[in-house]
Amino acid sequence: MDTDPALPIPISYISGSYYLFSIDAVTYLRREHHICGVLIGTLPQIPQQNVFLAMPLQLMPEEARLLVDKGVACIVDEVKAHKDGMTSIMEEDRKRYLQDLEAEGLQAMRLQNRRKEQLREEALKNLDAKKAAKASKKAAQKQDNAAGDDFALELFAGGEQAQDAGPQRPTPSETAMAVTPSTSYPPMPSRPTSDQILPSPEVPSSYPLFAHLHTKGYFLSPGLRFGCQYLAYPGDPLRFHSHFLVVSAEWDEEINLMDIIAGGRLGTGVKKGFLVGGAEQTGPGSEDSVRMFSVEWAGM
Amino acid sequence: MADTDEAAAHLPASQDSAPQIETDLSDETQDFRFLNNLAFPSDSSQTSLPRRGEKDFEPNPTNYQADILDASRHAMHNALSHPRLHHPKHRVIAYYAPDGPAPPPAIDVTEEKDEKETATNDNNEHNLTKERSPETGTGISVPEDSCVYVPNPKGQYFKSMGRADRWNRVWLLPEEALYLIERGSLDIRWPVSVTGPTAEEGEEDLGIPMSLQAAYACFTGRGGLSVERFSVYTGLRRLGYTVIRAPGWDDESDEVQDEDSAPQQGLGIFGRFLHWLHNWNKSTGITTTGPVVGLGLHRSYNDIYRKLAIIPYHDPVTRQSPRRKTTPPFRVVFHVYKPSTVFRKSAPPTPDFRIAVVNSRTQTTMPTQAQLGALLESTPLDPPRGEKMDRMMYMRLRHGYRNVILAVVDQGVVSFLRIGDAAFGKEKVYAEKPPGPKKGGFRPRPKK
Repeated sequence: MDTDPALPIPISYISGSYYLFSIDAVTYLRREHHICGVLIGTLPQIPQQNVFLAMPLQLMPEEARLLVDKGVACIVDEVKAHKDGMTSIMEEDRKRYLQDLEAEGLQAMRLQNRRKEQLREEALKNLDAKKAAKASKKAAQKQDNAAGDDFALELFAGGEQAQDAGPQRPTPSETAMAVTPSTSYPPMPSRPTSDQILPSPEVPSSYPLFAHLHTKGYFLSPGLRFGCQYLAYPGDPLRFHSHFLVVSAEWDEEINLMDIIAGGRLGTGVKKGFLVGGAEQTGPGSEDSVRMFSVEWAGM
Repeated sequence: MADTDEAAAHLPASQDSAPQIETDLSDETQDFRFLNNLAFPSDSSQTSLPRRGEKDFEPNPTNYQADILDASRHAMHNALSHPRLHHPKHRVIAYYAPDGPAPPPAIDVTEEKDEKETATNDNNEHNLTKERSPETGTGISVPEDSCVYVPNPKGQYFKSMGRADRWNRVWLLPEEALYLIERGSLDIRWPVSVTGPTAEEGEEDLGIPMSLQAAYACFTGRGGLSVERFSVYTGLRRLGYTVIRAPGWDDESDEVQDEDSAPQQGLGIFGRFLHWLHNWNKSTGITTTGPVVGLGLHRSYNDIYRKLAIIPYHDPVTRQSPRRKTTPPFRVVFHVYKPSTVFRKSAPPTPDFRIAVVNSRTQTTMPTQAQLGALLESTPLDPPRGEKMDRMMYMRLRHGYRNVILAVVDQGVVSFLRIGDAAFGKEKVYAEKPPGPKKGGFRPRPKK
């Protein structure tokens, strides 16, 4: 888990949005740079639900910009990279890649077969417990079958004696599972060429506030669900509820009083503070000119 | 009603300890440790979802908290690094066709030539026509935007997805292919034409498997499929709904709704105004010179109330003509069917929901009344019917006479809003019997 990917991490830019497809990059950025993004893919283990989602991870333009500014990541035109990359794959690379995939598929197949065996064993053990009377007879059968265990079982079962019961099934076929990889690197070269690198992402005017909160250690995520621009979490959203509903304003913008009332009321309703802030336009180079105000509903 | 609403609003606050039933788990990031019980590779039987977990208020420097966070992240890493595998028994192979629908390469030479020509012609007029005519390329109308074909379709997914062509290959639209590859149900291969020279004959004629990354790079942005639309599509699919493209998908074509369902033929704004003027003159007399109700014998309060109703109101049943044109993004792009609705690909029934997709980053303001009005007018009349609706006025108001769902997408986070065309003017509150404590639940049907 703690593998650090090579920097800069390529962020895929595809038709207006920013994505990460490598799980190592996702874990690394979350751990080291407090960038969470939004998972938008279907979790293949349990595909019919929306609570736990999976790769890819969609990044806000603000997040992508922050990472590029920090020098941690670069933006890659993924459509172009694929157009260039797929046609220029060498024959040997192609073969090696397919072999690697097949090996992975074979491994997965063995693991699954082993797990199936285990489940079967467990089920049969339970059955054994119920049929205590027939225990002695079963034991004799086990002795017979232990010898006939297939290769995969021996490989993974380690030293422990595999206990198989019941009639011996035909050895599971050793055909590899097909694998759909998450990323295209390999077979494509892992470093994007310079003409595939895009400039820093365009960001909305709320970026200074976003960056400021981020430097203060907050984890930020899109806030539409709570009627704001960003949700600010004091720690990793996996373990903490958010503290603030963040709305950005221009420095000289006149804020409608009703918006403040509504925001304060809304935030209090979901046990969060309503935070409004913005950056003073003091010219380039000057930092820390962001002011923020938190509004709470005072129960008078 | 206002009072009960207030009470309901205060309820969760007053009962903090009680579990809130209506909490949507997908509202916030969930702790991936709950997925730990799903070991690799998971069983299909193990599909129950974990409960909402307790989170801490704020970080503190204890090892205890750090350990839990580590465990959570580890669980997340494990869950997300799970590969998408295809068991040989259930594996469905598909091929990516970058140039859109085309006939298979291995057919009769002369025929092929003809069809290749038409196919390329069609590709040139990309996006202009959504459905190709039956004579061209792939035979039976395969949508022009399709870009993945499955030579040997099996499995439940093809009941509601894809279109078969003359050679029994099922063509998938980009969103369908992306959804299937993402959930690990489809093994898409690069066509040999893209990946370069063919390998030795027979040994590997399948091509390189397409990665998820490649699938996103190839399919989003193709044929009008923005990632916002895809997020809505896949989110609803995951919940079991059947989702198909609506005619309003392309920017050029507006959804044409046959107005046969509207019982009253439209009078038009002017006609309606005349109509109203006529009635108003007849029933209420001239308000500028005299009392609104007028002189005469008044035998019931209802007559008086009826005469007092001098302000014209919006009646959703009467059709406006000419129909206003919808403006993107406020246009129906998806037709959605409940899992219980019997769905046939060849003849889709009337959709249960109509959805317009809005990107909150490009559309930052609420829609204008004209935009919403046009959007609602593009949906068919769906008046509140049924015994319950007849009985309960607030349900009628909430249901409205037309409805549409706005899916607002903020960087991958989707919120659904239902917009109904409520007809407050049609609810004659004075005609309702007050719900007395001893009179029982019966209320007369309001006059239309």
